[in-house]
Amino acid sequence: MARKVLYVDFSAQYAAQRKTLLPAIDRALARGEHVLGVELDSFEKRFARLCGVKHAIGVANGTDALMLVLRALGVGPGDEIVTAPNSFVASAAAIALVGATPVFADVLPDQTIDARALEKAITPRTRAVIPVHLTGKICDMKAISAVARRRGLIIIEDAAQAVGALYHGRPAGSLGRAACFSFHPLKNLNAAGDAGAIVTSDDALAVKLRLLRNHGLKSRDEVMFWGHNSRLDTLQASILNRRLPSLAKVTRARRRTADLYRKGLAGIVECPRDAAGCRDAYHLFVIQCDRRDELQRFLKANGVSTAVHYPTPIHLQAPARKLGYKKGDFPETERQSARILSLPVHQYLTRAQIGHVIGAIQRFYGR
Amino acid sequence: MKPHSAVTPRKVKYSYLDKQFAEIDPILEDIRALVKSGDFTLGEPVRRFEESFAKLIGAEHAVGVGSGTDALFLSLKALGVGPGDEVITAANTFVATAGAIETAGARIVFVDCNEKFVIDPALMEKAITKKTRALLPVHWGGQPFDIDAVMQAAQKHGLPVVEDACQSIGAAVGKRKAGSVGAAAGFSLHPLKNLNVWGDGGIITTNSAQTRDKLRLLRNHGMSSRDEYSFYAYNSRLDSLQAVVGNRLIKDFEWITQTRIDNAHKLDAALNGIKQLRFPPRPAGERHVYHLYQFLAEDRDGLLKFLKGKGVDAKVHYPRPLHLQPASQPLGYKAGDFPVAEAQAKTTITLPVHQHLSGEDVDHMIACIKEFYGA
Repeated sequence: MARKVLYVDFSAQYAAQRKTLLPAIDRALARGEHVLGVELDSFEKRFARLCGVKHAIGVANGTDALMLVLRALGVGPGDEIVTAPNSFVASAAAIALVGATPVFADVLPDQTIDARALEKAITPRTRAVIPVHLTGKICDMKAISAVARRRGLIIIEDAAQAVGALYHGRPAGSLGRAACFSFHPLKNLNAAGDAGAIVTSDDALAVKLRLLRNHGLKSRDEVMFWGHNSRLDTLQASILNRRLPSLAKVTRARRRTADLYRKGLAGIVECPRDAAGCRDAYHLFVIQCDRRDELQRFLKANGVSTAVHYPTPIHLQAPARKLGYKKGDFPETERQSARILSLPVHQYLTRAQIGHVIGAIQRFYGR
Repeated sequence: MKPHSAVTPRKVKYSYLDKQFAEIDPILEDIRALVKSGDFTLGEPVRRFEESFAKLIGAEHAVGVGSGTDALFLSLKALGVGPGDEVITAANTFVATAGAIETAGARIVFVDCNEKFVIDPALMEKAITKKTRALLPVHWGGQPFDIDAVMQAAQKHGLPVVEDACQSIGAAVGKRKAGSVGAAAGFSLHPLKNLNVWGDGGIITTNSAQTRDKLRLLRNHGMSSRDEYSFYAYNSRLDSLQAVVGNRLIKDFEWITQTRIDNAHKLDAALNGIKQLRFPPRPAGERHVYHLYQFLAEDRDGLLKFLKGKGVDAKVHYPRPLHLQPASQPLGYKAGDFPVAEAQAKTTITLPVHQHLSGEDVDHMIACIKEFYGA
């Protein structure tokens, strides 16, 4: 059966949104405002509200969001930051790039950082922890917050994949001192290029971040400190403003797909599920399975594109090896890296497509 | 009572972005195609823009990045600049030049500029110490720096030059184009630049394939393939969407540049005789591309206010040099350190010179200035 199931389907998104998107771009351009300005202000206000915090600061991308928040908190050489080794490389890179040392702690079977491992990784040099809400699943923030409180550490949420996720009713982004989001084209809430944001309820931190993203400029003529140029493009903000209202619908569609996968794949592969009291956003739907590479090839032959997030854990990549990490350091992460497979879960999947994916996986395992 | 003024106000805006895209449909068509394809990150439009841009500048390679600031910052990084190093630049530049040095972890060393608003090559050479790791001279406002003198000094001391060409696409000294002479050069495609996109964007030119390859990794997480990271690096990419805009506008670039030069020459010819004004030298053989049309004026603040009252959106680039900014406090500079830059900051003024000015707009500015000085 040669049905095509794309991993991402931008054409479908375009077809669904062309009527609102192009006029929005047209209007934004007619205003002649391309850097900062009202579109961005409005997006920041609405996004902060969505996250249940006081401030959102639009920046160029999710990596910069992490980097700038670390810099704003004064993290630098000599400091250690604990994070998860199974994330996208940017989570570790942001730490290294401000001059601090990334320290890793292993994850739980559900791919989120293990609070006990995290506590063991803390040293007198540790300044902050960055739990990663990988795949759109919020970490065990109750346990992590308890550790952070006990050890006097700042929590920065890496919520790059978790926009719209809830933890006991509280949105991703409201569970630490600050949180970082990405609106990369592949994300649940996406721009048509790179974009990101930092959210926080800390007024002083918000002021500092607004300076830091814009050359340290307090006014056109006054430079308070040397900063970066990392602004969320006004044009991208206008696209995000149009897409924000449908985020709830996107999340619902992805969660519905997740339900169908869970039902159809029960007893065949391990499927992700919400922890008690949580509502995951399913940026990724990652199954854990035997014969992963073979299954991926089989699905491809059946028209289904999948991806692996990520085949080589961060601690086994070249830059981390220089920090002294080696195979065997994080057994759970390493075990998962050979077993994880991301199925298509985007909001434009049809029931027939989902059924096709399930049928193919059932056939592969002889069900 | 105010004396009667013969010149009636007329709006001459500094920013022309609303006019630039009167013919927006072809670009929207291209964007439509891009959005449909989903090729948002480092796709075909970026490759195409990099190729055309390198050709335009006369450099071997170009690498699109997130902004002009990042172009400078990543160039310094690619050359290995970091903590313990010193990088020399001009005190009269935009904050981003110095910011790029500081965020690369190095120490900013300022040097005074000359009458052309560009770094004084002799003072630059004097500022070189054992710790100097790179030179970051600025092609200011469209005026190329003294390429021959700067490159000679760099060669003598074995130092790489990163050209800050953010404001000077198309500038040249003789046949030597801004962006083609250093180890790398950073350009900005910010909306107000001569060649612009619809948001932040930047591009680096270099003649070294090795530097190009390093920069390609530096701008994209150090990813040599989807699954392999060579080193920890940044996310600083020129959006495909912005490259689409750049690919359209680059076709107009010669016209844009020539129109700005023509406007500047017209202003020069009409204003040159006014004794309260001083113009920077304009040596034959140097191609100033007039991102900024700048001169020095007696009673600058009075003139600025007068022009604003007459609808002319004149500006000051900039009223306070970088060494006197709060951000410079830890560097230990003080008033008097750079007399030329400090004097210029008090009297410099910038008139609109963009390609969408009409003949009447230019005449209006001339009439206003003549009236203000009674000339």
